[in-house]
Amino acid sequence: MDDYGFWGSWLAVGLAAFGTFIWRLAGVLLASKIPAQSPVMDWVNTMAYAMVAGVLMLMLVHPTGILAASGLDDRLLGLVTGVGAMMLTKRIIPSLLCGILMFAASLHLF
Amino acid sequence: MSMSETVALTAPQMRRIAAIDALRTPAYALGATMAGFATIAREAGFDVWMAVTTSALVWGMPGQVVFASLYSAGASLFIIFVAVTLANMRMLLMVVSAADMMHLHMHKLPLWRRIILMQCLAITSWAHLAVAETIYPRHLLLPYFQGFSLTLFASGMLGPVFGYFLPDMVPPDLLQIIIFITPIYIFLLITTARQKANRLAVALGGILCPVFFPLAGEWSIFLAGVVGGTLAIGYARYIAKWHLEERL
Repeated sequence: MDDYGFWGSWLAVGLAAFGTFIWRLAGVLLASKIPAQSPVMDWVNTMAYAMVAGVLMLMLVHPTGILAASGLDDRLLGLVTGVGAMMLTKRIIPSLLCGILMFAASLHLF
Repeated sequence: MSMSETVALTAPQMRRIAAIDALRTPAYALGATMAGFATIAREAGFDVWMAVTTSALVWGMPGQVVFASLYSAGASLFIIFVAVTLANMRMLLMVVSAADMMHLHMHKLPLWRRIILMQCLAITSWAHLAVAETIYPRHLLLPYFQGFSLTLFASGMLGPVFGYFLPDMVPPDLLQIIIFITPIYIFLLITTARQKANRLAVALGGILCPVFFPLAGEWSIFLAGVVGGTLAIGYARYIAKWHLEERL
């Protein structure tokens, strides 16, 4: 595992941090250039929403780590239950519980 | 609380309310997600300090996961840098969108303070800012973000410490359920977006990203965002002609 050595590992951490920081800095600089309530800002917002939704679905459909040991059907069943409950009740915590419980039940029962 | 009551709140009061909001669920969920990252990082050969430092400085889950998996594969530092940078590209749009939501230009903060503020931005705080925007007056949204994201950051630092040692203590089934909380929680949160165009973007981005993934890999998040977001705004503006301030 220790291919990188002490300094190599920490350099990797630094590079990972820097790679993310670039976007935050660019965002701060760009934000002051785009006028509020403009069509461009509306477009930025829909793209941000679509990207965040994309990240989350990727975590659910192609997970890494421990979650990868569960079935795709378990995770999607949990998601659909949560979203369904949200549409019916418009209340986030009860809907979240429904989704989590369905995932847990699906893991153990099916 | 009605809008007329919230207008009278002071900034410190707002920070406290935001911190309590964070402690209701999101802080635990995010701590659990970071704990999940630490379990991946441990398998990849990180020591606990590297796992915590990565969480603190990168502070963006997809990039962290990519980092850990490339590290365990022994990829070159250059590849790690490029892949993490790609995976966290969405930060650009989230920062612009968050700055807009909290009306950052009103506050006339120096550049370094804006940078520190946005260093604390995570998907969770961004999604909650969108909710807070519908409840609190605009001048209080910056203090809201400060209280919320700092609380979140604290739990995000505790998470990896627990997560690093957790697999020794908690059965894997329970750990799976804990890690499942964050994506579902945020997903439910963003489906409540105020504007219909944004909710359409959530649906499109969510469908497109896993479809793009087998072909586009790390680019899939970016592609899903651009394609999904553009289709959503195009449909809202030119076909359905939704008024963009419309609430439903």
